[in-house]
Amino acid sequence: MRQDDRAAEMTRQQHLTQYVCRARFARKGALSFIGHLDLMKVFERAIRRAELPILYTQGYNPRPMLVFALPLGVGIDTTGDYVDAAMAVPVNAEEFMAKVNPELPQDLEVLSCISIDEPKRSLMSVVTYAEYEIEAPGITEPALRLFARDEILMEKKNKKGKIVSTDIRPLMVKPFEDSTADKVHVLVSAGSVSNLRPDIFIRAVCIHEGYDPDKASEAVITRTALFGGEYPDIEGIEGLV
Amino acid sequence: MSVESPGRYVGGEKNQIIKEDVLKELRERGECTAVRTAFCFPDVYEIGMSNLALQILYKLLNSEDYTSCERVFSPWHDMDRKMRENDIPLYSLETKSPLYEFDVVAFTLGYEMAFANVLQMLELGKIPLKSCDRKETDPIIVCGGPVAYNIEPMSDFFDAVFMGEGEELDLEFIQEIKKYKDGGKKDRQAMLREVAKIEGMYVPSLYEPEYSPEGKFIALHPIDDTVPSKITKRIIKDLDSVLYPTAPVVPNNNIVHDRAYLELFRGCIRGCRFCQAGYITRPVREKSADTLLAQGKEIEHNTGYDELGMLSLSTSDYTELAKLTDGLLCAFDGRHTSLSLPSLRIDNFALDLMEKASSTRKTGLTFAPEAGTQRLRDVINKGINEENILSALRLAFMGGWSTVKLYFMLGLPTETMDDVRGIAELAKKIEDLYYDVAREMGVKPRRPEITVSTSMFIPKPFTAFQWEKQNTMEEFLEKQACLRECLKKVRSVRYIWHGVETSVWEGILARGDRRLNDVILDGYKAGSLFDAWDDNFNYERWMGILASHGLSWEMYARGYECGDVLPWDHISVGVSRNFFLKERERAYREEITPNCREKCSACGANCFKTGVCYETR
Repeated sequence: MRQDDRAAEMTRQQHLTQYVCRARFARKGALSFIGHLDLMKVFERAIRRAELPILYTQGYNPRPMLVFALPLGVGIDTTGDYVDAAMAVPVNAEEFMAKVNPELPQDLEVLSCISIDEPKRSLMSVVTYAEYEIEAPGITEPALRLFARDEILMEKKNKKGKIVSTDIRPLMVKPFEDSTADKVHVLVSAGSVSNLRPDIFIRAVCIHEGYDPDKASEAVITRTALFGGEYPDIEGIEGLV
Repeated sequence: MSVESPGRYVGGEKNQIIKEDVLKELRERGECTAVRTAFCFPDVYEIGMSNLALQILYKLLNSEDYTSCERVFSPWHDMDRKMRENDIPLYSLETKSPLYEFDVVAFTLGYEMAFANVLQMLELGKIPLKSCDRKETDPIIVCGGPVAYNIEPMSDFFDAVFMGEGEELDLEFIQEIKKYKDGGKKDRQAMLREVAKIEGMYVPSLYEPEYSPEGKFIALHPIDDTVPSKITKRIIKDLDSVLYPTAPVVPNNNIVHDRAYLELFRGCIRGCRFCQAGYITRPVREKSADTLLAQGKEIEHNTGYDELGMLSLSTSDYTELAKLTDGLLCAFDGRHTSLSLPSLRIDNFALDLMEKASSTRKTGLTFAPEAGTQRLRDVINKGINEENILSALRLAFMGGWSTVKLYFMLGLPTETMDDVRGIAELAKKIEDLYYDVAREMGVKPRRPEITVSTSMFIPKPFTAFQWEKQNTMEEFLEKQACLRECLKKVRSVRYIWHGVETSVWEGILARGDRRLNDVILDGYKAGSLFDAWDDNFNYERWMGILASHGLSWEMYARGYECGDVLPWDHISVGVSRNFFLKERERAYREEITPNCREKCSACGANCFKTGVCYETR
């Protein structure tokens, strides 16, 4: 990920013009069981099979220039994630979709695409919030109780391997009205500045609200949207270039 | 359900094949007319998907309308536990069908240490483990691959065994099973007898072993005279015209060898006397550069892989290597696709090629002298001498390489401690050479990285050393300790060695007979699994179970007399027993045998009427 950023930086320094296809994609089923690095490779190979004029990073180990908005954890479905693919020449959005979609494995699909000439900001840096749907028996009630708290301390290991306590409450923005008893729909902080992973949120529901960890381990998690901006003035990723 | 790397259990990859008509039939009637094969690899997905045989035969068995094929891999411990706890049968990746629903369950066996995993897959697939316990409607359990040439230690578990190359044999077998299925699966015994009539098919249940009162294997008898007393392997005559998967399955998660492959040729002209792979694949048959070029371009396009590997037992022996690599490099220009060229003999051409072929930095050079002294290299017929190695390395060091890996074997026939010390002496000469070259070129030397790696010699069936005694554990350990001591004096050397215990056990399995069936079964029941993974392997348990069956290390490792009937003597790989005997004698006389292109040594493989045996020299 950081490597991609570096690569993007290098290309900018070389004054190469980038024509970016920003694709919104969905994944489910088999494709949800792979990690972020694997997903990157799946996209890279699909774009290579599609014979699109993708740019490559410089250096010893050139890779197709793809930047993902936010890594997706293993087991998490998505209906609204983004990837920027940097092209050497302009590629229109329809052509990108028509060529890439047949090359993607089943359970992975580009839903829409926009073309951006020379984006000023990297895709990763614009993400500030993510929306998740978490489906598990009876999870909504304890999850809403969690939102009622002022402070929610969670232990985690810092970079040095020491266990520290942090308050995740500021990262929990709000639950949505459309939550049902077994499916809670939430907005949380996401991105490179502050990020709340949905599995940590679920763990907090278990630890602080006594939710059954066995049921939690069966939770189906779907990322439904990503946003930029500052709450409550949040906006879609498409426009943030 | 949380398991490690769940991506290995779900399928759904690009180029996966699901036959819609078969699926439709299955949905509507719960069964189908095509013969359904579950292609099983007895190890995890990441290892199995790196196997070219799987990709080839998967494609082949999906190529005709009367056959369909799906993949199944061995579930890792965590998944194994979950499946047992929740009573989930082992299933195929494509349609998630349980193993017991298939008509044929086919294993490819590349290493003996995977035996326990075969039993795991059968058990999790709810299939009776022993051939004799299976009913008419149970799947037919078969296997092929290098280890199948001596399948005696696993003969109770397989209904039929493929001797030779799957492309030649598989469809003939499937057609026989189709008849059985069309006829309503009435008489399994009769079907197996029909299968045994196919050339190259071995049906173990139609043979009975005989042992002497002292517990020595004497013979394997066909149960009656309708059963062939000798089974000769089948091979493809013309590799150019045979199906090759140019749209192989591309895994979604990272696998061990994550690249596309071209197979340059089968067989090996070299005749290293310990090498089973070289002998069982004789004679050498090449694919033409034109075929390979076309297939290489197709594969790169169909997979999106950025690396194309050249596969064969000895890449430098491919007669059209320059044409092929030039052609591919030209075709891949600007596409960021690199070639990987394993087992190259290092010379000017090879160094130049490596520089051009790989877009990445200079990786290490690998040599396999196998033995530390010229005397012992002559014994094993390794057609390489010290001068070859040093002159190649001189070129490499001059070209800027500084990382060298050297592979050796300990315990080779006739080996003495001088030969063991010879390994360290060779490493020292290489280190000195590096500094000499740096001095001559007037550059400040970096420190070279020289890795010496040793494995233990394991006598294998169908080699010139198939009769040899294997070193004892104590001998191996003494040699390892001696070498480690000698190598301490060579500063740039890192020494890595392979476990002695696994080699001892593998040696027993490799030359085993039918008495090992129950040992393997008991070992599996006692918890042995994934023995190829060092930290899973439990030597004491295996040896204990071996002893409890009244068997011992000595019975299998002490070696055979030249006159003995060997447990695999009913199988022929084309190379004659006589030739192996002659090669053995030449080994003792330290005489080398010229390679197949220099001079034919009449090994017997010309019986297949193809390949290098019929090239004009």
